[in-house]
Amino acid sequence: MKGRTISHAPAGPAPGAGRVTPLGVLAVAAALAGALVPVWTQDAPFVLVMASHAAVAALLAVSLDLLTGNTGLLSFGHAGWFGLGAYACGLAAKGWSAELLLAVPVALVAALLLSAAVGAILVRQVGKAFAILTLAFSQVLYALVFLFSDVTGGEDGLQGIPVPTFFGREIASQEAWYWLLYGTLVAVLAAAFALRRSPLGCAWLGIRENAERAHFVGMHVGRLKLYAYMASAALAALAGALHVLFNGATSPETLHWFESGKVLMYMVLGGVGTIVGPAVGAVVFTLAEETLSSVTDAWLIYFGALFVFIVIVAPGGLFGLAKPAWRRLARRRGEPQ
Amino acid sequence: MMLQVEDLRISFGGLKAVDGVSFSVRQGSIHSLLGPNGAGKTTLFNLVTGALRPMSGTVRFGSRDVTGWSADRLVQAGVVRTFQRTSIFKKLSALENVSLAVRARLGLAARLRIPAPLRAEVRDEAMQCLADVGLARHAEAEAQHLAHGSQRALDVAIGLALKPTLIMMDEPLAGMSQGDRQGIADLVLRLREEKGLTLVIVEHDVGMVMRLSDRITVMQYGKVIADGEPAEIRDNEAVCNAYLKGSFAQ
Repeated sequence: MKGRTISHAPAGPAPGAGRVTPLGVLAVAAALAGALVPVWTQDAPFVLVMASHAAVAALLAVSLDLLTGNTGLLSFGHAGWFGLGAYACGLAAKGWSAELLLAVPVALVAALLLSAAVGAILVRQVGKAFAILTLAFSQVLYALVFLFSDVTGGEDGLQGIPVPTFFGREIASQEAWYWLLYGTLVAVLAAAFALRRSPLGCAWLGIRENAERAHFVGMHVGRLKLYAYMASAALAALAGALHVLFNGATSPETLHWFESGKVLMYMVLGGVGTIVGPAVGAVVFTLAEETLSSVTDAWLIYFGALFVFIVIVAPGGLFGLAKPAWRRLARRRGEPQ
Repeated sequence: MMLQVEDLRISFGGLKAVDGVSFSVRQGSIHSLLGPNGAGKTTLFNLVTGALRPMSGTVRFGSRDVTGWSADRLVQAGVVRTFQRTSIFKKLSALENVSLAVRARLGLAARLRIPAPLRAEVRDEAMQCLADVGLARHAEAEAQHLAHGSQRALDVAIGLALKPTLIMMDEPLAGMSQGDRQGIADLVLRLREEKGLTLVIVEHDVGMVMRLSDRITVMQYGKVIADGEPAEIRDNEAVCNAYLKGSFAQ
C-alpha cells in the first residue's frame, strides 16, 4: 500500500515505539549540540548573544506553527502576542517583581485572557478574513503603546528592566541566559510534539484537513480553534517575556506588522506544520539576518528573493526538502515513514 | 416514524429552494429523494442536518422536534450525514479518520490524554467500523491514497463511528465506477439489514434508487411532486411526464 502516513494516532502504541531510530538519534544529537553552543563560543560572546536571539525567534516561530500548522488558521499579526508578552512581563518586572517565576506568568495570563476574548470573535472567520483581522488586532496593540506612552515608554520603548532572578538568584551571565532560552525551546518543542500526538492535536489536524466534516462528526470546531489560538498566543507571549528580560528593554517594533511578517517567513522557510521546521527556519533567518545586515543595507532584498524561491521551489520549506531523503532512508531500513 | 418533515421552507433571494416540503421516513427503511439538478434535494438535506435553518416548517426526529438544531447536536441525537463530494480527512490514516469521530462522539476530542484502556477501546471501535465497510486492511493507509470507492466507504465508516440511528447520504454513488456503485449499494443494504439503520438517500441513479429504496419522494422546483413506493413512482404519470420517463424505460 503506497502512501503510508505518519501516525498521528494516539489510538495505540506507534509502530516501532520504544525502538532507537535514526530520527531519535539525530534529535538527541542536535539537542546536545545546541546545548554546547556556550562552550564553542567562549571566544566569541557576540555569537552566543546571537544564538540566544535565535532561540527566542525559534520559540516565536513554533508558537505560530502551533496555530497555522495544526488548524490551518493563518495569522498576519502574530507579533502582537509577542509584543504583548514583552510589555506585560517588562511592566511586571519593573513595577512588581523581577523574579522570573512571577513576571513571566503575568505575560502568559495576559495573553490567555486577551486571546480568549479576541479569539472568540476571530476564530469564527476563515481564510483571508481571519488573517486580516489578526493583522488589524496587532496594529491596534501597536497603536496602544503610543497612546499609553506614560506607561509603555512610547517610541522610546520600555527601558530599565531590572536583571531578572530565578529563585532569588540573578540571571546575569550570557551562558545562563542561553541555557535558559535553549532549554525552554527544547521543552516547548517536546510539548508541541506531544500535543500533536494527543487527541486534541489530532482533532486540530482534522479541522485543518476538513473543518466542515469535523463539524459534522460533532466536534466543537470553534472551541477547538479557540484553544489553538490561545495556546499559540500564550507561547508567543512567553517568547516576548523572555525577550524583554533577556534584553532589559523592548520597543514598539516588537508589535509591528513587519515583525509578524518575519515570523511568517520563519515558518514558511522551515516548513509549515512540521514543528521543528519553523524553529530551524527562525534560527537560519536570524543568523543570516545578523550576518547579511552587517555586510549590506539591502539585506531585505536578498531575503525577499529567498522567500520567493522557497515558496516556488520548496513549498514544504527546508524540512520539506529533507523529507524525500529521509523517506528513502526509512524505506531502506524498512521503517514506517 | 423515524423522521417527519412538515411544510419545510427556505428561500434564497427570490428563489424558493425548498417550498413547503413534507415527507416521513419509517424506521429501518431506505428512503430516497429523487429529482433533477436544482430540485432542492441537497438544500433539504442541509435543512434537516443542521447546515441551514429553515424559514418555517418543522423537522421531527423520533419524538423530538429538532428544527434548527446545530449539526453537532443532531449528531449527538443520532442523525449523521455524508456529503455529495467525499468528505474525509485526507492526510490522516483511515484508522485516524474514524478514531476522530469515535473520540468526538465520546466527548474526548479536546483531551490532552486518554487512559490506555479507553484508548484501546477507541481503536477497537474504529477498527470495527472500518471492518463494517470492508476497509480493515487499509486502516493504516493515508486516506487520500485510497481508491475513490474506498474513500466513499471511509466516509460511511466515519458516520458509523457516531453510532447513528439515521444516516443521510447525499449522492453516495456520484462519480463512481459501475463496480464501486454496486459496492456502495451493497453496503447501504447491509447497513439496513445488519445494523437496522434508517437511511435517507439523495441519488440521481434512478435504476439504483428503484432497486434500493423502500419509499421514494420526488422533488421538482423545491416541491414534492410524488411520494410512494418504487412501483408507485414508476407508474406515476406526473413524475414520468415531468422528467423521468427515459430513465424508467430502461
